[in-house]
Amino acid sequence: MNAENAPAPSPSAPAAKPRRTVLSLLATNIEFRMVVVILFVMLVLSLASPYFLTVKNMLNVADQSVIVGMVSLGETLVILIGGIDLSVGSLVGLSGIVLGLTMRHLGLAESFAVCLGAGALAGLANGLIITYGRIAPFVVTLGMMSIGASLAYVLSGANSISGLPPGLGTLSADTIIGIPLDFWCLLVVYAVCYWFLTSTKGGRTLYALGSNPEAARVVGLRVAAWSVIAYVVSGVMSSVAAIFLASRILSIDPIGGQGLELDAIAAVVIGGASLFGGRGSIIGTLLGVFVMVFIRNGLNLLNVSPYWQGTAIGSIIIIAVLVERVLSGARRRA
Amino acid sequence: MTSLELSDIWKAFGATQALAGAAIVVKPGEVHALVGANGAGKSTLSRIISGQVRPDRGSITLDGNPIRFGRARDAILHGICIVTQETSLAPDLSVLENIMLPHLALPGRLRWRRLREKGQALVGELGKEAGLDLDAPVSNLSIGQRQLVEILKALALDSRFIIFDEPTAPLSPHEAERLFAIMRRLAARGRGLIFVSHRLEEIFTIADRVTVLREGKLVEGNLAIGSLSQGELVRLMVGRDLQDIYGRNAGRRAIPDSHPVVLRVRNLASPPMVRDVSFEVRAGEVLGLAGLVGAGRSETIETIFGLRRATAGSVELDGKAFAARSSREAIRAGIGLIPEDRRGQAIVPDFSVRENLLLAHLGARSGVGLGYASRTAAIRDLLALLDLPERRLLDANMLTFSGGMQQKVIMARGLLLSPRLLLLDEPTRGVDIATRSSIYALLRRIAGEGVACVVVSSDFEEILGISDRITVLSDGVSVTTLPSHLVDVEKLAMFAAPRTSAEKTHTVLSDLVARQGGMAYWVIVDAGRVFCFDRVGTDAAADPGFAAGGFPLLAETSIAAALANPSAGFVPSADGARWTLLVPVSGQRGHSFGTVGLTLARPPDGIDAAALSGSIAGSLNEAIDHGMTGAGYAA
Repeated sequence: MNAENAPAPSPSAPAAKPRRTVLSLLATNIEFRMVVVILFVMLVLSLASPYFLTVKNMLNVADQSVIVGMVSLGETLVILIGGIDLSVGSLVGLSGIVLGLTMRHLGLAESFAVCLGAGALAGLANGLIITYGRIAPFVVTLGMMSIGASLAYVLSGANSISGLPPGLGTLSADTIIGIPLDFWCLLVVYAVCYWFLTSTKGGRTLYALGSNPEAARVVGLRVAAWSVIAYVVSGVMSSVAAIFLASRILSIDPIGGQGLELDAIAAVVIGGASLFGGRGSIIGTLLGVFVMVFIRNGLNLLNVSPYWQGTAIGSIIIIAVLVERVLSGARRRA
Repeated sequence: MTSLELSDIWKAFGATQALAGAAIVVKPGEVHALVGANGAGKSTLSRIISGQVRPDRGSITLDGNPIRFGRARDAILHGICIVTQETSLAPDLSVLENIMLPHLALPGRLRWRRLREKGQALVGELGKEAGLDLDAPVSNLSIGQRQLVEILKALALDSRFIIFDEPTAPLSPHEAERLFAIMRRLAARGRGLIFVSHRLEEIFTIADRVTVLREGKLVEGNLAIGSLSQGELVRLMVGRDLQDIYGRNAGRRAIPDSHPVVLRVRNLASPPMVRDVSFEVRAGEVLGLAGLVGAGRSETIETIFGLRRATAGSVELDGKAFAARSSREAIRAGIGLIPEDRRGQAIVPDFSVRENLLLAHLGARSGVGLGYASRTAAIRDLLALLDLPERRLLDANMLTFSGGMQQKVIMARGLLLSPRLLLLDEPTRGVDIATRSSIYALLRRIAGEGVACVVVSSDFEEILGISDRITVLSDGVSVTTLPSHLVDVEKLAMFAAPRTSAEKTHTVLSDLVARQGGMAYWVIVDAGRVFCFDRVGTDAAADPGFAAGGFPLLAETSIAAALANPSAGFVPSADGARWTLLVPVSGQRGHSFGTVGLTLARPPDGIDAAALSGSIAGSLNEAIDHGMTGAGYAA
């Protein structure tokens, strides 16, 4: 009977309600924690390198976070349902090549559509095979990763495509209030995704699906459809990243997106999502993207050898998740 | 004197105090029943004894020496093993490999020949009833036989104390009787057995002594079973009269025909578990689906709810054909489902209680948005009805609450959409006794408001207590539907016996008809009615006036004279057209299995009634023994 009347304090109803101090926020709110970490990293980097806080470097960071951010958004949806998409990096390469080839014959808008269609098609294949063929997402998207990389080579003849229409460059060259257009696009897309995940049926279905797919099915949610949609969105976001990547360097390389899947998965996981699904937030992912981009940028500014950068980033990912695990464990015990 | 003693054991899971001062003393050579109502803490205590759960405090001593368990392995090393309902066997390995699995973890080379010899010796210890083939893959075995493999596994580890956690739930009466014979033999050989159960008849059949738990506390320890009556044990278990739990007034309700039929199921099939199920439920009625584990009860309601495909038969909702292709369609048609497996099928652990409650609403809703706000008032009313504290509840995590509390939330989820038909699958599993009775009260109330309810339960007493009528399922077939006041636990068990074990009895009946003609049947005669479990024969002139699944009054049959006055010879019917011989059937330990009858449409001239009775009784005993040992292979 005691259990009936005295529920234990839970994470979403903070025990320290009377004193909502900075410390209690630090202990309970992962987004807040990440903002603090990002500010700390920025402080350290600005002290260590005079170039860090320059406009030029900040624009560079913004550009970089657009590419990683677009891919990470799709990856977030997939990881929320308990899946994983390893193909996003190679799909950035493939849809970039598709974009470059179509732009030789069609206008900008049409080429964008074809490029997005290519990504959607690959994502649809992923989603259908995973959902209806009941094959592990790891396997299917690993296969798609290989197919995407290979097709990118085949279509491009292993050459990069240059001489792109200059109009393409406006996406990253134009600014509004001093902030590049592509970064605005990133913020808008994330805002839409935030609304989708918190306030629509589809968004809640993704969470329920990742948390307990059987329960979601029993209550009549459209489990299969939303599972496919998550992979389609992930494919489409790869194409979006490809478009912004092309607009920034006005040249398309078949291996342009190589390794992006790892940055994306790292950003999502650092942002607090569980690889088992059901837990995570799009704001967390965005902050995770900034963490990843700042660290890469900082390592470059500090002249760390590219050979060592992988070790540094890998360690940071593991430590970040470990710290998160310890903190959330402590909160659960409280 | 060696013994296993646990005293003053406390254990809390989150906010739930599962045990608050439980204790038990088990001696070698005895069968010790650990009893209590649902949620009394029996399972928690047995998991503590077997080292799977660590107590918060309390002492465990073996032969007077305190022992501490960190892991299940420690308990095994001390010679304590548990045999559970859900067996933990590797289905693709053979019986022998499963029995010897712990040996695979030992260093050194495996000596298969020695292991095989040991395995055969162990099977010998179980006795001839076991009839296990050491080389058969476990996936070919019946549930009852798998349990025997678990027991062998325990014996292979030299266990001195073996815990049986609700071992008979999935077993037929025959299989249960075999298990009891084996348990007796193990006890006679000096092993201490702990028998966890809430089925009274079984406790009185098998146990030597009893320890009673209630709400995690020790009520009575070490009572000799001989010193108790069933009524006394019930009072100890529940602390009040059983009738009170189910909250019904004297007499069960008969639902008048004027109430419309809400759900009509005809010959529904969804292989492999559902083969031929028919029943109907009226508005305001509570229909129980009774049967053993694996009889296809859950699968039947999941098929109605659109979670499984029906391959044959029809479902009518309010008189109109209804075939749900998804749970979404079912919910929109006004059906609610409270699934069996709360953690697996109902709770979304990362959602707050509020969002868990609203999940079915979300599933039924069309459109993009959530529409949560539209349900705020309804939620408030429901929580008040369920006696749930709204303020502290809604934003909290679901998993921090007790099983009973979680079940109430899941019930609220189903009720939020005001269903006309509510399907409840084991609604009180893992629920404490206080919540249990409030769930029963809620069920009566929902039915009182005109909702048709279908309740699946493995607990025959529960299903008798809450249902207006009961449909019995056996191996995916609906055997009969009876008003619940006409039956008791024993008859339900006979109707629910799996086909594989009834098959042998059926063969005896068929042989009888082949030799003598007429009709042969297997019945129980009780309280002025005859309950027929099986009938064989095509001679309409010899029709006794009831068929399999029937339960007519004696006067309504055409052999009333024979049924009313049991005698050793053939008895003519009142009109002199039929002659009937009845032979009582009992198991090895004297447990009654009803009566086998033969009705002829001619005078039994030249038939030696005494010899025939003897041969029927003989072949039936054999059939029952075989039914017990051979049950699995037929499946």
